[in-house]
Amino acid sequence: MIGFVQNIVDALSLGSIYALAALGIGLLFGILRLINFAHGDFITIGAFALIVPSRNETAVMGIGSLPFIIMVPAVCAIVVIAALMSDRLVFRPLRRASSPTLMVASFSVGYLIQNSILVIFGARPKGIDLWSALGKQIAVGPLRVPQLELVTIGVTLLLMLALSAFLKKTPYGMQIRAAAEDFQMARYLGVKANSAIGVAFALSGILAAAVSLLYISQTGTLTNVLGVPLMLYAFIATVIGGMGSLVGAVVGGFTVGFLAVMLQAYLPDDLRSFRDAFVFGAVVLVLLVRPAGIIPTRALAQRV
Amino acid sequence: MTETPRRLIESVWLPACLSLALAICVVGVQLVGSESLRVTLTEMLIRLSIVVGIYIFIGNSGIISFGQIGFMCIGAYATAWATCDPTWKQIMLQGLPDFLREHTYPFPIPIALASSLSAAVAFLFGYTVLRLSGIGASIATFAFLVVVNNVYSNWTSVTGATSSIVGIPSLGGPWAALAFSCLAIVVASVFQHSHFGLMLRASRDDEIAAKASAVDVLKVRLVAFVFSAFLIGAGGSLYAQFLGILTPDMFYMSLTFITLAMLVVGGIGSLTGAVAGTVVVTLIIESLRALENGIFLAGEKFALPQGSQEIGLGIAMALILIFRPQGLVGGFELSPPLRLLERLRLRLGAPAQQSHDLVSRGD
Amino acid sequence: MILEVENLSVRYGSLTALRGVSLGVDEGQIVCVLGPNGAGKSTTLAAIAGGVAIHTGIIRWCNQPISGLMPEAISRLGLSLVPEGRHVFSTLTVEENLLVGTYQRRDRQEVAKDMKRALEIFPRLRERIHQPAGRLSGGEQQMLVICRALLTNARMLMMDEPSLGLAPIIVDQVYEMLLNLRQRNGLTLLINEQSSERILKFADHVYVLRSGELQLSDAAANLQDGKAIMNAYFGFDARPAELAAAGNGGGR
Repeated sequence: MIGFVQNIVDALSLGSIYALAALGIGLLFGILRLINFAHGDFITIGAFALIVPSRNETAVMGIGSLPFIIMVPAVCAIVVIAALMSDRLVFRPLRRASSPTLMVASFSVGYLIQNSILVIFGARPKGIDLWSALGKQIAVGPLRVPQLELVTIGVTLLLMLALSAFLKKTPYGMQIRAAAEDFQMARYLGVKANSAIGVAFALSGILAAAVSLLYISQTGTLTNVLGVPLMLYAFIATVIGGMGSLVGAVVGGFTVGFLAVMLQAYLPDDLRSFRDAFVFGAVVLVLLVRPAGIIPTRALAQRV
Repeated sequence: MTETPRRLIESVWLPACLSLALAICVVGVQLVGSESLRVTLTEMLIRLSIVVGIYIFIGNSGIISFGQIGFMCIGAYATAWATCDPTWKQIMLQGLPDFLREHTYPFPIPIALASSLSAAVAFLFGYTVLRLSGIGASIATFAFLVVVNNVYSNWTSVTGATSSIVGIPSLGGPWAALAFSCLAIVVASVFQHSHFGLMLRASRDDEIAAKASAVDVLKVRLVAFVFSAFLIGAGGSLYAQFLGILTPDMFYMSLTFITLAMLVVGGIGSLTGAVAGTVVVTLIIESLRALENGIFLAGEKFALPQGSQEIGLGIAMALILIFRPQGLVGGFELSPPLRLLERLRLRLGAPAQQSHDLVSRGD
Repeated sequence: MILEVENLSVRYGSLTALRGVSLGVDEGQIVCVLGPNGAGKSTTLAAIAGGVAIHTGIIRWCNQPISGLMPEAISRLGLSLVPEGRHVFSTLTVEENLLVGTYQRRDRQEVAKDMKRALEIFPRLRERIHQPAGRLSGGEQQMLVICRALLTNARMLMMDEPSLGLAPIIVDQVYEMLLNLRQRNGLTLLINEQSSERILKFADHVYVLRSGELQLSDAAANLQDGKAIMNAYFGFDARPAELAAAGNGGGR
């Protein structure tokens, strides 16, 4: 029983990370119909932003050694700049392109980022130590919960509330929601297309940076493809949650997190390394029952 | 009556032209080229068969699949199971069924095994996933790629996990690869001009209209998906026999990107584009590779840093998407000069009525 | 003239949707573009609003060329399009729908006043101000999009088939509202319709489009018998029976 509750906390923590990543993807999909395969690589950028660029095997903390209050905004800023640059250089010239073209373009951007990091930082995985003090466990009755997991869950909740307040209460948020539903109509009402999209890219960059920090503090390993599995899980999350719905992205993120943790915990030993295959199998089952996802969106059905 | 010869001419003309062009390349390289050029050419021709296989699904259905390289992985490993030395397999791949572990099989059985296994997996996977919308299906294919990689990287007793599989016997050089890629082109062309191909292209251009005209979209997509996996599985088999060594990570993001780039650069909607794209991207990759190794300019050695090849390819891909979103050939397909053929026929005294139809349809 | 369109052509690929169309609208006028389905009416309005790329031609708004500007820039100049089919943001509330159009304005104090005034004109919207717009009836949605367009501080509204899909009694209300707005605010209107029946009562000037070309341009006062319109609309001299039918249904 205690093991089970412990698993639930693990699942919430992992689900939080997937939900944050899925939100970043869902935001851009909503407004741009862009399947951003480069989102995982934005996360990778956030992680590498912490260390001094070099091909040496041991990583030297750069921005990562700054005080928390400077370090977090700095990492966010770097990822946001990368996201905005990818928009300006690649996605903006492709505004009128079809959805498959955009998808392939984002795949190219991701490939570019992965290989640029490879050239700058070298191919070997690097270990770094971020907030290891949070690795301590807190005893709650008979439960022993890593502090880091609680922090992850808390930060995620905060970010979700902040994002929701931004989208509901601020002029930019309202314009993004309008544009996500009917882009052309929003423009006819004076919503500036490029700035609304820019804000969406920036938001998705901030979400990616948050994922980088939370994820790296848990794993402590940097590789040039560290964002790829996160991106993939986040995509699975948006698909089973319902493409185009932000609530769906969150629900999907937690669903996938639960599946992953529970399978990891309860699969027999010799099958455990095939966890990803099982998660995916379960996702296909979900989709067979609900092809439009858990929270289908009408706007999408009309336009895709 | 006239419909059949015209379609026949079209479906023969296109592969004939493309194959001829490739054959000329091979003859040229065999006559003047170095050994390394021969290897490059062989690899290009094998990749061409993969790209053509990918084209059968993506080009005709309009659904981007990121998972086709997973079928290549399946095909390559199936070939290793069928061809490697039994004593080695008894030590390294104990989990294989007896008929594979204890025996080796001669050509063409490994290829047949590779392609039928891929096709079977494609059928099961496609049947469940292709009913999703285009975007959902694309993401599912991406997940498929990851799952294949995950399974082949961990299933120690059957795939050797991440340790390399070695000692796959070679099948031969450029000629074998040429024969195979020409075969792939013929299959793609026949499919494209078939009943299924036409229905699938109709569903690509307007899914709702196609459904309204009683096209079973799921079925035609599935047929293309299985065909595609069949060819790619065979291509993977060929690739395994070309390299002689396998790890699961060879069939992952990088190769997916390169093959997709080949298709997109040439133009996703035509077979001519698939072939042209493969050739052009190979040229880009090889020139960047040469630059990475260093060239001498006015006595100074000039070299790009390692990794420039991938970055250059990524940039080239982005530029083509932005400036030529339809690809280099822009959906153009080599089509037979029907009027010319007609004039020839008239001279040979063919019946006038039939020839008239042939020309007017050619318009 | 507040809006001038000269020699406008639009192509979709190899298809020519508009060929050399010229028209003009004076401030405070109600101008109507009539034409059957596929005549190019929607394309004309979308081209003026910057929604489709134009092939040739010049569009001037208050004597400034606006062809080639982005739709959001044109909206900011006070020229607002209400496209066919209403296009409310269905997951946003009525209030949020109205607000979206006001963010381009600098006069934030005025916005609140205008909003209050607009809701006095459209009391039904005030009752449902916090409901998602997707739950409104068709007529209420039409009111919402008109109100929303007005709140952009528009000097001119371009309405694409405002009567499409609405019950006749609701259409009457919509037109009443539009006339009301012109009287109060000096609003200029450019309206697309398929049917001439209602519009002849209100319009100052009528254009007839067919197959992407302008067939007729005349003051509404000269067209009251409907005959010239029908000739232009169908491209032949209509017989009396057809005339009567067309007078009711606008050629359908």
